Amino acid sequence: MKYKTKEKIKTTFGFFGMIIIVICWIYPVFFLLVNANKTSAQYAKGDKTEIIFGNQIFENIVKAWNIGLGDGVLNSLFYGLVGSSIAVFFAFLAAFAIVRLKMNNGLWWFLLIYSGTVFPFQMFLIPLFEAYVVFGIYNTKFGLTLFYVAICIPFATFVLRGFFLTVPWELQEAAKVEGATNFQIIYKIMMPLAKAPLMLVFLIQFTWIWNDLLFGMVLSRSVGVRPVTTALAGMQSLYRQVDAPTILTATLMASIPTLLIFLLLQKHFIRGLTLGSMNAGK
Amino acid sequence: MKDKQQAYFYIAPAVILVCLILIYPIIRTFYMSFTDNDGLNPPNIIGLANYSRLFFDTQYILPIKNTIIWTIFASFFPVTIGFLFAYSIQFLPRSNFFQILIYIPATVSAAAAGVLFGFILDTSGLFNAILTILGFEELTRDWLFQIPENTYSMITAYTWQATGINMMIFLVGLQGLPKEPMEAAKIDGASGFTLIFKIIIPMIMPYFVIASLLALINSFRVFDSIWVMTMGGPARSSETLAVTMYREGFILFDLGYASAVAVMLSLVGIIFSYFYLKLVLTKEDVGN
Repeated sequence: MKYKTKEKIKTTFGFFGMIIIVICWIYPVFFLLVNANKTSAQYAKGDKTEIIFGNQIFENIVKAWNIGLGDGVLNSLFYGLVGSSIAVFFAFLAAFAIVRLKMNNGLWWFLLIYSGTVFPFQMFLIPLFEAYVVFGIYNTKFGLTLFYVAICIPFATFVLRGFFLTVPWELQEAAKVEGATNFQIIYKIMMPLAKAPLMLVFLIQFTWIWNDLLFGMVLSRSVGVRPVTTALAGMQSLYRQVDAPTILTATLMASIPTLLIFLLLQKHFIRGLTLGSMNAGK
Repeated sequence: MKDKQQAYFYIAPAVILVCLILIYPIIRTFYMSFTDNDGLNPPNIIGLANYSRLFFDTQYILPIKNTIIWTIFASFFPVTIGFLFAYSIQFLPRSNFFQILIYIPATVSAAAAGVLFGFILDTSGLFNAILTILGFEELTRDWLFQIPENTYSMITAYTWQATGINMMIFLVGLQGLPKEPMEAAKIDGASGFTLIFKIIIPMIMPYFVIASLLALINSFRVFDSIWVMTMGGPARSSETLAVTMYREGFILFDLGYASAVAVMLSLVGIIFSYFYLKLVLTKEDVGN
């Protein structure tokens, strides 16, 4: 009994202690929200911790959108949706071939695809830039999409290979006996079964593409092509030409999609991201 | 057509794209690291000259030193703080709520977090304002412009963003633990530290290994955070090898040297990745 009360007191103290720690931990987010809602004069002169009520933030959103972030958001949405979908689709076919069609040297093929992510991204930059210039796809949406598809394939194949290993073989064999082609097996059996992992991988890869800075910097230049993070970083380097609250607003806008994806995925996120962080890391 | 032949058609798009966009550049970078390619003149093969420059030219000692500092601290702090968070919140009521709040910084891109911390660590930024309010005015300084404060400031910003994932890994580990040994130890009067070091850490060792390897894989090649906050400056003082590679390749056009830096980074990366993959792949195959 005595032990239990002691535990209860400890838990209560722990609970309130943790609340204080967590408030400190997310204080930078609070700083972001508060200062995105200021005018540049208010930010420059005022106390950074001061809260100002009002709707300056809407004006800042419009300003940020018009000085380049808007294009970045639209471009990144395109890269994320198109690049991630195509990558997941190709990875799905590849994983199907390796596991379900029992390719000879299946593990070797898998490792060939997977080897793409073992190297740091610095290994890709110079030859990609050269080749993109030679083939005329430097600073094009096609070029960036092509890269994002390729970089997302290895991890997607890794996860989907894991999925295919768990699907019972009886399903496939029964379909075969009834004369189904492999394409029908993919379309009618595997795709519906794989909905959850497909969605998970799609969103993880969307997040990766959305957050990428380096390849946007290397493979694009103009406002109409560059992704959102590159647009944001560009704004930051123009600091003092673009005011602080506008940049902070832009930071907020660039962060909302990935935050929403996390809240949406939460439960599945842990497993997915622990696997994915190797690919996601920079 | 037989399944095994059809398989080649299904795997072709993935393999072709990966070979052209990922594997070809890797091979080409490796080759270029042995040349004096400057993007203009016809390149000559110069053997290991780029590599000896990397090790013996005093100009590059600082990036190497910074990379080592980053590798150590930018993996130690996210893993340790991630563990402490996971350990502290798991038994608390509403732990899910804490978990979401603590994880929020991890959903933000490294670039966005870098921009945010650029404003926090600025001379007239939030951090100095708080120091002044608390009466530590003499401690205020330009956190991103002074050496060595700039590197440690950026590691702090990086830690803020990289801790969430480690907390998640440890939460998975802690949730899988049997409760009895912990309860028994507590009733026997084991204090916090004994409990953590003698019982909990040994039990979740595999998760520590995975989290640490992942953190190492990521920490030695951090680029975005540094680029957004200081661009490796002032005067290249906060550069790591990942930034050196970009600067040499895309600003100074010393492509051969930049490639050699990339290859060195790969060697480190492959060592960490080897241990990581060995763990993850064997675990997965046993599971199936």
